Amino acid sequence: MIGMEILKPLAVLAGWTMLMWVWMYATRIPAINKLPKDGSAGADQGWTGAKLEALLAPSIQWKAHNYNHLHEAPTVFYAVALALAMIGQGDGMNASIAWAYVALRVIHSLWQATVNKVAVRFLLFALSSLCLMALVLHLIMALFH
Amino acid sequence: MNGTQIVGPVIALAGWTMLIWAWMIATRLPALRAAGVQLGKLRGGTGRNADGVVPDRIQWKAHNYNHLHEAPTVFYAVALALAVIGQGDGLNAWLAWLYVALRIVHSLIQTLWNKVIWRLAFYIATQLVIAALVLRAACHVIAGS
Repeated sequence: MIGMEILKPLAVLAGWTMLMWVWMYATRIPAINKLPKDGSAGADQGWTGAKLEALLAPSIQWKAHNYNHLHEAPTVFYAVALALAMIGQGDGMNASIAWAYVALRVIHSLWQATVNKVAVRFLLFALSSLCLMALVLHLIMALFH
Repeated sequence: MNGTQIVGPVIALAGWTMLIWAWMIATRLPALRAAGVQLGKLRGGTGRNADGVVPDRIQWKAHNYNHLHEAPTVFYAVALALAVIGQGDGLNAWLAWLYVALRIVHSLIQTLWNKVIWRLAFYIATQLVIAALVLRAACHVIAGS
């Protein structure tokens, strides 16, 4: 279909999010099971991932930080990519920029989950944001031109 | 239109999010008042600051409201992508309804009872449904089948 090429990187980023989910559980659940058991009343109730910050090793939490992050900035990417596809502008240059965005987000994930030096993570995030800005600009131009 | 039935569960989950918002506001504002917080005098701060200030059960509504803006964003993206390419009927629509039903149960668990192991079990179930939708969307947009 015309203008739908951009849905490929969209589907790949959604799939990557599922892989980060699996990676997060594969490292986090064993780490939780190694914690001393808290048998007090209500200990198995109500807490969220935020509580684990102080309990688990940072490198375990890095996977979760990235999983959460994949539900923040990429939401704008999904919205813009879908809008471009709907108006038939999701091929060619816009599809290439979307692939660059997804590639940068995958590298960003791998970096945050393993090495996590902040300066490099910042650079990767900034580059991915530039891709996103280009897509937003193209969408605005296509709609208001 | 053909292939757009999946928009039904998308709207249903968006509507559920509005209901949880209303529930959160209806329980949280009186609780903040009871805790002596004067909303008119607050400057800065975010909802997280209410953790430990109002009763946990009140915050559970807010935790779930926030959560409804995380994982479901991937659901919206994939469901809309399927609708855009005309693949949102049949099994894909049923999977989407299943996702919404499981998310509603997840909301009720987190807001009312919040045993973490049950919340986790339902979260895993919802993520498996998204993973299935992502896989099916990826097959359609990338392999074209």
